[in-house]
Amino acid sequence: MTNILRTIDLSKRFHKTVVLDHLNMIVPEHSVYGLVGPNGAGKTTTIKILMNARQPTEGMAEVFGRDSRRLSPEDFTQIGYVSENQQMPEWMTVEYFMNYLKPFYPDWDVVRAQELLRLFELPPDRKIRNLSHGMRMKAALASSLAYRPRLIVLDEPFTGLDALVRDELIEGVLECADGATILISSHDLSEVESFASHIGYLDRGRLQFSEEMTSLVDRFREIEITLANPSQSPVSWPAAWLKPEQSAAVVRFVDTQFDQERTIAEVHRLFGNTHQISVNPMPLRAIFVTLAKAGRKAA
Amino acid sequence: MRQALHIFKKDVRHLWFEIAVAITVVGAFTFTGARRALWLVDPGTNRTAAWTLVMILLPLAWWTLIARVIHDEALPGDSQFWITRPYSWKSLLGAKVLFILAFISIPMLLADGVIVRAYGLPLGAEMRGLLWSQVLIAIVFIVPIAALSALTTGFVQLIFAILTPCVIALGVAIVAPEIVLGGFLGGSDWVKTYYAYLVISVAASAILVWQYSTRRTAVGRFLAVAAGILAVLGMALIPWSVAFGIQSWLSKDRVDQSVVHVDFDSSNRWLTRVVIEGGDRVRIELPFDITGLPPNMMASPEGFSVRLQGPDGTMWRADQLLLRNAGKMGQKFSLEATVDGAFYRKIKDEPLKVRGSLYMTLFGNRQTVRVPFGDRSVPVPRVGVCSASGGAHRQSYFLICSSAFRFPPVLVSYSFIQSAKEAVQDVWSSTEPRRPISYSPFPAELGISPVSQDFTFSTVPVPLSEARVDTVEPLAHIRQNFEIDNLRLGDFEVRPMPVSP
Repeated sequence: MTNILRTIDLSKRFHKTVVLDHLNMIVPEHSVYGLVGPNGAGKTTTIKILMNARQPTEGMAEVFGRDSRRLSPEDFTQIGYVSENQQMPEWMTVEYFMNYLKPFYPDWDVVRAQELLRLFELPPDRKIRNLSHGMRMKAALASSLAYRPRLIVLDEPFTGLDALVRDELIEGVLECADGATILISSHDLSEVESFASHIGYLDRGRLQFSEEMTSLVDRFREIEITLANPSQSPVSWPAAWLKPEQSAAVVRFVDTQFDQERTIAEVHRLFGNTHQISVNPMPLRAIFVTLAKAGRKAA
Repeated sequence: MRQALHIFKKDVRHLWFEIAVAITVVGAFTFTGARRALWLVDPGTNRTAAWTLVMILLPLAWWTLIARVIHDEALPGDSQFWITRPYSWKSLLGAKVLFILAFISIPMLLADGVIVRAYGLPLGAEMRGLLWSQVLIAIVFIVPIAALSALTTGFVQLIFAILTPCVIALGVAIVAPEIVLGGFLGGSDWVKTYYAYLVISVAASAILVWQYSTRRTAVGRFLAVAAGILAVLGMALIPWSVAFGIQSWLSKDRVDQSVVHVDFDSSNRWLTRVVIEGGDRVRIELPFDITGLPPNMMASPEGFSVRLQGPDGTMWRADQLLLRNAGKMGQKFSLEATVDGAFYRKIKDEPLKVRGSLYMTLFGNRQTVRVPFGDRSVPVPRVGVCSASGGAHRQSYFLICSSAFRFPPVLVSYSFIQSAKEAVQDVWSSTEPRRPISYSPFPAELGISPVSQDFTFSTVPVPLSEARVDTVEPLAHIRQNFEIDNLRLGDFEVRPMPVSP
């Protein structure tokens, strides 16, 4: 699998404020990569550097293996970019907007463009300035899907949208993606967890982790141990165990590198005999909360 | 090219109202300008107020159009939809250039052509001026505003960008006017102006290319500020001798300079004066003769440098001073320099060495053109066209000369002639300049109005038969050295007469 997007030690500072701190991120081809993190984590900055809308302070970003600062118009014929705060040509009608963009893209599909307008129920003769926020996002998305881009970049596309419009947008993207690589950023995990194949968690300019969704869910477990000898407590906890808590005979922690045999063996090594070891899978949200707290504690 | 045309069409569709307003203003400019050509015949066509209004509205309409078309794809910022679309920066810039050409430059070119023709000026002969005039308008009115628009996102920012340097310049002009205004360099003043044009056009073009190719606005803004400072400082600091040197170089092959001499006019020593002035200053006046001028050639002293040296080496320099009476023709001139009182008292009874150089312009190739009274315009080479008419009671006579794109690059003088007799009235002496001349070698000067006019009249109560227009051409700009030995200034001391209460 080749990498469509890659950042290498990417840093961005605004005066003394560090927004991105040596970010190394890889988005494999055909993946749906959810870039998640709290507001101000650096998601939009990362995407804007990838789209050559901003310049990095250090390091570099690559799109299709090319330095993002050297992206050519030809490269942009393969990229569909939609952002919640994108400035649109307000004076254009939806139809004129689509017709205006058509000659820029050699692979523009007129039939598909019409289908997208119908799918998103966009009124062709309405000016963009008169569209609701949700409709504007749909118009931007329709104009970015009509040429079957190889890469779709969505920066906080669902912010401010009601659940119905959000679902329509997601359906539209997934229906029309045709195997395209999708990078979607969001501050709300629940917006992307249902369809992302890969997930990256960005916090204060640092990528806390980045991996396939399935492996992420597989390696996180909440462990609860009932000790045979409550006075026994380990001198040091393994680094992969987060949120350790101990009260009387019960110990709880999150194992971030769960492996049935290895984890059980480690528990016995540190605590001796136990009455019970309970291993519970974690929902994605709980994994994120754990990681976010651990990251902040470490910082 | 196809993409540029596509963007151009979009801009036309979006900005049709602004285009219509700009074209209407150009239309009004053409109509009013062309009608004004008839004002000597029909004074009702003058319409000065309308003309003034149009001259104000025209640049405002251009600037609005430029700002609107460039801000349609604003360059600063990272949220514009177009920056993640397959725009080629060359196509985008090309579309904007095409738009400006189509709705500003070409209409203005046509309007100027129509107005020039309305004045009876031959368009073919004025083509160089017509084209150069458009270049100057582009350099001063269009490209800098386009560059500032490329550095801003909207009207408010643009107006701020325009007003800020104006306010700073105004402040500096009040505190230290010489920095902003510089010294007037006489006929060579165009050197200073063209230096500013050069800096502005290069910087503005560089900013446009930089912004469209990289969109790194901070660097572009720095470049704009640096160019502004460079232009102002250069204009203030260009020495007069450098401007004159450039002028000399441009005319170096036209006259044999070695035959011209400048000597102290010893036969007119009574014109040598040393005047004790207030503030411990002493004004020295020395008469000089210019000899050896080729036939039919006149000299116009422009400036000088002089050094007074006493026997003990005490020295006073007055370098590259522009003569106040620059342009005054003649073979004689009086050099005036003011020295410090202490220096004067020290050397007044000593034999002085005076060494210096006189910078002068040589004029020749006199041409006289007769302009009969009537409505017919007469072509006057190097000027344009002139027409003369008699007043209502045949006692007032008018002469008006129209020149395209610049004031004539020659000295012009006028006279009215009584039938077959000598001139009854020289409105200006034929050796006096009608107005300060610019020695600029370019066929146009900056201005929105394509035609400049010079007007004179006579009210002598006798019938006149014709008017005449005399022109002399600047042929060379030369520097000649002069020397005076053993000059004792104390011998020529004059004290101002005391003023009676």
